[in-house]
Amino acid sequence: MLEELPILSLITFSPLLGLLVLLFLPKQRSRWLKITAIAATFIPLALSLWLYADYSSRSPEDAAAYGESVTWVDVALNKETVGDVASYSFKLAYQMDIDGVSLPLMLLTTIVAAMAALASVHIKKRWKAFYFWFLLLEVGMLGVFMARDLFLFFIFFELTLVPMFFLIGIWGFFGREKAASRFLIYNGLGSAIMLVAFLLLTVTAGFHQVETGSGEGVRLEYSGSYEVLQESFSNPDSYINQGAPESGGDTAMTTAQNPFYLSEAMRWTIFLLLLIAFGIKLPIAPFHTWMLRVHAEAPPSIVMIHSGVLLKMGAYGLMRFGLFLFPAQAGEAAVAIAVLGAVNVLYGAILAMVQKDLKLVLAYSSISHMGIVLLGLASLNEIGLEGAVVQMVSHGLISALLFLIVGSLQERTDTTELAQLGGLARSMPFMSGVLLAAGMASLGLPGLSGFIGEFLSLLGLFDTQPVIVAVAVLGVVLAAVYVLRAVLAITYGPMPEKFAALRDARLVEAVPMIVLLAMIVLVGIYPSILTDPMAHGFDALIHMLPGGEAS
Amino acid sequence: MDTIFTQLGWLVPLFPLAAFLILTAMGRGNRTLAAWIGTLASLGSFALSVLIWTERLGSDALDYSDGFRWLSAGPLQLTLGFEITNLTSLMLLVVTAVSVLVNLYSAGYMKDDERATVFFGYVALFAFSMLGLVLADNLLGLYVFWELVGVCSFLLVGFWYTKPSARAAAKKAFIVTRIGDAGLLLGIILLYWQMPSHTLDFASIQNVFQGQGGAIEAGMTTLIALLIFVGAAGKSGQFPLHVWLPDAMEGPTPISALIHAATMVAAGVFLIARTFDIFEASQAAMDTVAYIGGFTAIFAATIAVAQQDMKRILAYSTVSQLGYMMMALGLGSLTGGIFHLVTHAFFKALLFLGAGSVIHAVHTQDIRQMGGIWRRMRVTSVTFGIGALALSGIPPFSGFWSKDAILHTAFQEKPLLFALGLAAAFLTAFYMSRLFFSVFTGKARGNLGHVKESPWTMTLPLAVLTVPAVLSGLIETPWNNTLGHWLSGGTETTHTGGGLVMVASAAVGVLGIYIGWLAYAKGTINRETITARVPGLVRLLGEGYYVDRLYNAVFVQGVRGIGRVFAIIDDHIVGGAVRLVGGAALLLGRGGTRLHNGQVQTYGLITLFGLLVLLVSIAGRGWW
Repeated sequence: MLEELPILSLITFSPLLGLLVLLFLPKQRSRWLKITAIAATFIPLALSLWLYADYSSRSPEDAAAYGESVTWVDVALNKETVGDVASYSFKLAYQMDIDGVSLPLMLLTTIVAAMAALASVHIKKRWKAFYFWFLLLEVGMLGVFMARDLFLFFIFFELTLVPMFFLIGIWGFFGREKAASRFLIYNGLGSAIMLVAFLLLTVTAGFHQVETGSGEGVRLEYSGSYEVLQESFSNPDSYINQGAPESGGDTAMTTAQNPFYLSEAMRWTIFLLLLIAFGIKLPIAPFHTWMLRVHAEAPPSIVMIHSGVLLKMGAYGLMRFGLFLFPAQAGEAAVAIAVLGAVNVLYGAILAMVQKDLKLVLAYSSISHMGIVLLGLASLNEIGLEGAVVQMVSHGLISALLFLIVGSLQERTDTTELAQLGGLARSMPFMSGVLLAAGMASLGLPGLSGFIGEFLSLLGLFDTQPVIVAVAVLGVVLAAVYVLRAVLAITYGPMPEKFAALRDARLVEAVPMIVLLAMIVLVGIYPSILTDPMAHGFDALIHMLPGGEAS
Repeated sequence: MDTIFTQLGWLVPLFPLAAFLILTAMGRGNRTLAAWIGTLASLGSFALSVLIWTERLGSDALDYSDGFRWLSAGPLQLTLGFEITNLTSLMLLVVTAVSVLVNLYSAGYMKDDERATVFFGYVALFAFSMLGLVLADNLLGLYVFWELVGVCSFLLVGFWYTKPSARAAAKKAFIVTRIGDAGLLLGIILLYWQMPSHTLDFASIQNVFQGQGGAIEAGMTTLIALLIFVGAAGKSGQFPLHVWLPDAMEGPTPISALIHAATMVAAGVFLIARTFDIFEASQAAMDTVAYIGGFTAIFAATIAVAQQDMKRILAYSTVSQLGYMMMALGLGSLTGGIFHLVTHAFFKALLFLGAGSVIHAVHTQDIRQMGGIWRRMRVTSVTFGIGALALSGIPPFSGFWSKDAILHTAFQEKPLLFALGLAAAFLTAFYMSRLFFSVFTGKARGNLGHVKESPWTMTLPLAVLTVPAVLSGLIETPWNNTLGHWLSGGTETTHTGGGLVMVASAAVGVLGIYIGWLAYAKGTINRETITARVPGLVRLLGEGYYVDRLYNAVFVQGVRGIGRVFAIIDDHIVGGAVRLVGGAALLLGRGGTRLHNGQVQTYGLITLFGLLVLLVSIAGRGWW
């Protein structure tokens, strides 16, 4: 029955239901506002779990049943004045779909958002506005992972920026305003670059002939549809693959130079634009400085979302639009991407080792872990790509858990400076235990989710880039160093007198901790729960790669 | 042959897992109950292990494995399963036996610790992981548990977490072994791609590497073997990754017996034994293993001579004995390595538990403050003495036979290693007699008025362990090749070097004890005058050849320095560039504001500029 519902739209927009209720609640009723907002995040969570259950119970052949497509903008372009006989139009569609890559990330989003909503009980002011932006942010994130039209994707992508800007700028810590503006400038720049790349794609690869009934004449269309783009790239007869004038095939194109032809150089340009645009979000060093500030200044429950989900949008975009549309370019750039990944892994890890503040340790560790995602992407084989997705989900869960603890910690101790903390295992055994477990997951302990992503990514990449993998493995050692340094500084050792009376996690804090830790353990001991739905997700890409048929 | 219990092999680790879950749920609750849960669970595992072992006594026992699909990604299909071979069944027996005794012992030792329940939980988790490691049917499965035992070791070394020294030791143990683990992980990844069938199970590895079918080129084989050895060296405290093991003595003493003497540290030896076909296919790798092992044996033995801490002496002794095992494997004697692993597990566990009993009573670990304990702790003294004799290689105790087996092989294969092994055997006997006489005989040097024998829960395990410490050597002697035939399927024999080797090995043991007796009990040899003549040497050995300081100066400070440099780069160069761009954007914005001055001429100029840009880009279209 699920495929009869517009389930993807329901999931994406269900947080708006809570938002609507919020609007009618008086703004000083913090309790009611919190309950409403938390409840609102559980609707998409329940729906996405239902979708997951339905999706994974099907064979991959009939998995496409969830897609939704509605024409959104359809403008006729008048080109008759230039003597063209065909009818032209510009079409944007509201097109949503789900596949083995989107599904895990969508689930990650709904889980992390629900847990972050619970963690937001520490917010002290302007609850109504806070949850308003919070729920809007969730809509944006969910939309990003399911949109299958360039402009729809872009709109959802931007829809995450504005709420984040306010959430950081209003509810953050001391340097919040600077952090918010840094965030907006950087991500705005990334978005601008992305928009240029998308426009180029639309007017070239998006241009196609629509099948029409007989006698209707030729109908040509500019479209931002992902399907159309994929079709154009893979079809040798499509406009973009028709070379210079002499080789032009279509009647309308024979005389003029084919304006839709995508030369090698143009493909590279778009690919690199996408790499930069999503690289900023990922973030690829040296584009990472903005996210350090966000980690340090934003309220911890928002960092849960930022580090847990928003960074994944960069990796997701790079995969969906960079790798899947430009497999040939990706194949040639694989070494460079792998090097960038290794640099991220080591650069982040080394810097995480010398940070004095727990939040910055975690921020740099995010850079290191996202480097592993890049390594997985650079492998361009099924093992590595699945590893990259598992790593995304795993890092999302782990960093959400870590920042959940950071929030509860800061609430009690008023500091996250490592030098000022210590011995907290004595007064807070439960939270310290969870912190240690999360740290272990972060350093890639087998049995927890981090290992699976790391192992698959490295294993996949080793086939083509053994030397880079050998270098990146150093990150495994360094991760142990910075994680233990930070975690033990907080929980082990002598306890300062002033922390003796701290109370351990309350129920509202313990529940999300247990849920996230349970997910981490589940993925760690039964990784098929993630990798099974992903099977076949990369078949199309693998086949498009040069020499990809072999495996 | 019946295989009912063999098929239930997967149940062996589940007893302690269940115990771990129950104990974790108990929080810091009922401590006596916790001890019983831990002991009973390990007893369950032990009973099943014995039953499995009896099924394998016949010569026709086939290897049995079973598992389920665990991880699949594209062409990668990995199972999580268990495999029972003669080697694994023997290891199960050793691990579960020591585990039962240590649990029982801990019931007494940890009675007054408020976190005893947590302690038994960690021990149960360790037992689960260690048994999983032993049973794993493929290399990745082994790696999973390999890391888990590392974490349990970390948790237990840092059990008294408020002590900064325990925190530092736990961290060090984890990080140093992780260096080895990174090598092992790389080795596994390399092996996966090199294997013709892209699998990692031990049966396939054996098939590929055994007859040296040339499926994998020689250089690659060596590289894989060496990477695996890096992992093994980290876990088994081989030079240069041995530094964590002496520090790991910060943990409770039962843990030192279970994890850092009998089981986990032997996992490196077990790993090489499990992948022995890869090593046998590469002479270079074998030589590396043999020489590193031989060097570690003598290197650690010399350090043990100059230590003052009872547990650190035993720890360096463990490093040294693990060196023997590695040497045996490197010389091609699988039986020798495993034989010594088994006997060492028993007598070293006995020694550590004995040391724990002493420390528990006198509240110090410094042997200079002990002495005369024999009069107050009879059971501990006698059992410790038996353990010391076994370790010193005095016939007919177990350590003699297993060490002798290794020396025989070395004598025939590599005389240099034989000499090293013999020298280390002498030193072993010497430092053990130094330890024994300093602690148990002579006058009491500290205030020992309160010292009394430990409770039965602690002395019973000591008494039980003396049995294998004395007798377990008899399974493989010059006249009886039971173990070798059983492990290798009837081909390998040990003790082939002739009677002279046996006499030599027994003689150096006796000589070592005699000199120790002269120096530390009788006082004929004046220690002070000797040590005063070579103060530099004493300090060199006492500091473990300054390896720790060297590592600290080079690696710890080095990495920290690199980190600081990177931090400056990140802050000033990367961040500076960002600020520059930000500043430029701001300037541009200000400039843009100024352009909006209401003058049509300015707007016209901008339009013209825009047109130019457009034209240039259209012209540039040719490039695209």
